Amino acid sequence: MGLTGKVVLITGAGTGIGRGIAIAFAERGAKIGINYHLTDEFANETLRLVQAAGSEGFLVHADVSDATQVKMMVSQVVDHFGRLDVLVNNAATQPNLGLLDYDEEAYDQVMRVNLMGYFHCIQAVIPAMKAQGAGRIINISSVHGKRPTDFDSVYAMTKGGIKMLTRESAIELAKYGITVNTIEPGAVYVGSKTGKPRPIVPPDKVTDEGHRRNLRKFPLGRVGLPADIGHLACFLASEEAEFITGAAVRADGGSMLL
Amino acid sequence: MAISKRVAFISNADSPDGHAVARQFANDGWALVLNTANRGFDPAERLSGIEQETPVLLTNSSLSTTAQVTDVRDRIRDQFERLDAVVHNHNRVERVSIESCSVELAQEVLDENVKSAFLCTQILGKFVAESGGGAVVFVGSIHDQKPTGSAFLFSVSKGAIQMLSKEAALELGRMGVRVNVVEMGPVAGDDERFRSDISDVYLDYRYRVPAAELGTYEDLAKTIRFIVSDDAKYLNGADIRLDGGFTLHYLDHKMKR
Repeated sequence: MGLTGKVVLITGAGTGIGRGIAIAFAERGAKIGINYHLTDEFANETLRLVQAAGSEGFLVHADVSDATQVKMMVSQVVDHFGRLDVLVNNAATQPNLGLLDYDEEAYDQVMRVNLMGYFHCIQAVIPAMKAQGAGRIINISSVHGKRPTDFDSVYAMTKGGIKMLTRESAIELAKYGITVNTIEPGAVYVGSKTGKPRPIVPPDKVTDEGHRRNLRKFPLGRVGLPADIGHLACFLASEEAEFITGAAVRADGGSMLL
Repeated sequence: MAISKRVAFISNADSPDGHAVARQFANDGWALVLNTANRGFDPAERLSGIEQETPVLLTNSSLSTTAQVTDVRDRIRDQFERLDAVVHNHNRVERVSIESCSVELAQEVLDENVKSAFLCTQILGKFVAESGGGAVVFVGSIHDQKPTGSAFLFSVSKGAIQMLSKEAALELGRMGVRVNVVEMGPVAGDDERFRSDISDVYLDYRYRVPAAELGTYEDLAKTIRFIVSDDAKYLNGADIRLDGGFTLHYLDHKMKR
């Protein structure tokens, strides 16, 4: 895919989908800026896995809801690696509150991280990508940018906003050679609070009736893994995807069809 | 004392679309709660005699905090003891690029357009449920799908509200409140409102409507009239595109001139 030596900044790369994306890029020879916010323990594990994949990683702490910290994060990555080719906007929060259960503080927090955070990061990488005459921005969204969650209304609102932020960015930044796309993951095993993935049980080995019923929602017979999203992100960052911009690519095992 | 008329709340009544919607509701015999967001409401200029025809409560709130929306709800409760429909039509457009937009402006516009929608849905939508059910209608835009190329905060707002509508359609739907979006297409003046160096979507915009006739806010008002009526009782969580076919157009040589 021609990603060797490319520099990729991934927000929220300490765990889950962000870590899966980091590993996928590292396996293809890209250098990884690993953003984290709450704890460095998981980010260090991502760094170890990036190095184990034979590549180079660089930890950058920043709260993406703070535009000043985001600018500093991007500067640190550019200073460290000398360039920036790909931004993967991934950091998000999901308190799982229903519409009537949200208070104003929780609303503001989810909006600041999930929507304003993506905006801050896009803005911050424009100068470096503009100077290079090329860049790739990949916004991790969700199937819940189209289908409601029924368990976290503001999370879905941010994903609806990201859909349009992607499309507006795509047409505005095209003149700089920057493409902007969205990935819409469905359910993905992102592990527990320990950061460790839960074991995947093959469909034919599932005995629990509730679990079996859940799997029927996925035509491919399983939920997603962080690596599924990572592989897709690598494709969107590759030369082969240079004509794709403003797109939303769903990766959900077909669950949205049922 | 409870009013026998149905009661509709309009979040931004001091606007051309808000006024058209208010006029339609009044014609249909609804009582009205007319809110103005930022500017002082001028009844003489805007109401055009509506207050002579039906009970009207005027509120002046930015609707951007829980306390503000709760206060509006309490005033409605004191005056009418019920609420049957909420129309959210905050539509702030700021022409600014993503590259140059200040963080402060972005936050301000999102709060005005989106947070007010969320709080109205949460607080006033629940009040509609407590009143026996009804409808919430968001005046959205074709720009919840089609980028503007000039006013990204508007389209981001409308994208977020589209998902708010679907979430609320589920959660409030179980409480007897239907929630829908009208994706409003172009009206006269939108070529200037969304003037863009990037997108030609408003070039010859009238002729991009297959019938070569732009929509009006009266069209919007009539659509909302249908959505809040019992005839639309199975309409919930829908995006109703009201653009005369504008967004389907792409072959310029086939324009009706």
